[in-house]
Amino acid sequence: MSAKDFLKKAFPVIILTAVVAISVTVLTYTDRMTRPEIEAQKETRTEIMLSEMFPEMSQYEFREEIYTVYSDGDEIGYAFIAVGNGYGGDIEILVGLEDETTLKGITIISQQETPGLGTRIAEPSFTDLFIGLDIADVALRRDGGQIDAITSSTISCAAVVDAVMATAMEKVKLIKASEEGG
Amino acid sequence: MGKFGKEFAKGLIISNPVFVLALGLCPVLAISTSIDNALGMTLAVFIVLLGANVIISLIRRFVPSITRIPIFIVIIATLVTVVNLIFHARFPDLYESLGIFLPLVVVNCIILGRAEAFASKNPILDSIADALGITVGFMLALLIISFLRQILGTGNLAVFGIHFFDLPVLKEHPIVIFILPPGAFLLIGLLMALFRRTGVMKE
Amino acid sequence: MSEFAAIFIGMVLINNFILMRFLGLCPFFGVSKKIGSAVSMGVAVTFVMTIASIATWLIHNHILVPFDIEYMDIVIYILVIATLVQIIELFIKKTNANLYFAFGIYLPLITTNCAVLGITLINATEGYSFTGSIVAALGAGLGFTLVLAMMSGIREKLELANTPKSMRGLPIAFITATLLGLAFQGFGGML
Repeated sequence: MSAKDFLKKAFPVIILTAVVAISVTVLTYTDRMTRPEIEAQKETRTEIMLSEMFPEMSQYEFREEIYTVYSDGDEIGYAFIAVGNGYGGDIEILVGLEDETTLKGITIISQQETPGLGTRIAEPSFTDLFIGLDIADVALRRDGGQIDAITSSTISCAAVVDAVMATAMEKVKLIKASEEGG
Repeated sequence: MGKFGKEFAKGLIISNPVFVLALGLCPVLAISTSIDNALGMTLAVFIVLLGANVIISLIRRFVPSITRIPIFIVIIATLVTVVNLIFHARFPDLYESLGIFLPLVVVNCIILGRAEAFASKNPILDSIADALGITVGFMLALLIISFLRQILGTGNLAVFGIHFFDLPVLKEHPIVIFILPPGAFLLIGLLMALFRRTGVMKE
Repeated sequence: MSEFAAIFIGMVLINNFILMRFLGLCPFFGVSKKIGSAVSMGVAVTFVMTIASIATWLIHNHILVPFDIEYMDIVIYILVIATLVQIIELFIKKTNANLYFAFGIYLPLITTNCAVLGITLINATEGYSFTGSIVAALGAGLGFTLVLAMMSGIREKLELANTPKSMRGLPIAFITATLLGLAFQGFGGML
């Protein structure tokens, strides 16, 4: 096979390889350009949620899955993420603590509940019920607690309540333990 | 009207990608839960479709027939990845709403279909017109569906945070089914029948 | 074990690929007029989904992540799928010509089936283990086949019914899908 014949046969592969090479270059470039912004997003999102829950926050620390929130050097609370087993999937909740027995409030980070029904757990009419609540009172009214469930969304509400209660108890134990340890 | 206009109009009604050709249905049904999502998806599809049509039309004489499909796929996939990364960085909320359907634009039959059926055989201006026409047709279909789904399913009309109005009865008792997956099927079926009945679109 | 059962049931029923996730719609409305071809299509797609899941899982976890080139996922996954479908096409052509002609154009079209690329992306996003991805792919494929079979059974009967003219064909198929979808919504609180 002469060189010319070879080139003719190999042409399609050469073109394909060239296209792939260009593709890889373009993508690597785009990735380099966008990566900083994408990384930064994660940080900002957490900060925004925490500062909405603790308006006096000036900075926060994140250690062993617990956020400690400060206002000019004073510890003003804690926060952590709880995950509930909702109707349509996981429900991610940011739970804020004023101290070791009282909730500061909750924010629903993400959920896949039924629109118009379960999704109402993200509304203030539900989340406000948790503000200033004693951890011991975090239960649905039917179970002796203080939280009124939203009609037709009991599964979603129960998921939130269970997750907040269980994770809060767990985290408070850790907070007490680390305080005793110094 | 000229050839440009003709290609444009073709994509709009006669060969409307959604209601007539029933192409690229997956994103249409999934994304149409809100007008914001519909517009965002249209933008993504437009960028990829236009880019693919232009590039493929430009290189059409150099692409050997045997490897043309893999080459088209690589070009489209690259464009989709670029859009995916840029949306992730610049429009994070839209990126989250579109979810898996943004990368899935790469297998959207519309794009590969146009590349193979049109852009690889036609000059660049016609290919651009084709891309525009198809996008507008797609956008119209998507907007009609998401407008209806949003109004009927949530009772309010809000686009990118600008609140237009709430329909009094629907706001209190929205017809939730329209926001749920089955509702999407229902709406499209009804709309298709309606368009056929009124002769706007044929089989 | 129960984790795999949860993934499986989730894929087949609760988050059914066609009715809930809207993945794999083109063949859903295109092929499903006869139960036989619908099931064959379902099996073929399940097969591709499973093999593709294995291949892409390996690529994702052993090449993309370690080398920090995750952004190449879309390009690589779709090329893998396209190649896979080509190989299967050649294989079927050589071993069972009848089947090859029966599938017609729908065989290469498996490449552009959202369900196939969809499951590979879902496996990556959900971070399933190797076995988990296989279970997920099998579940997704089974759910897909199930709904396809149901749909074609119903459509077979619909052909004989007296459907209003503007509803014939696609519109009534969509309405049928609505009803199937509503039924599947009922699986929602299962797990």
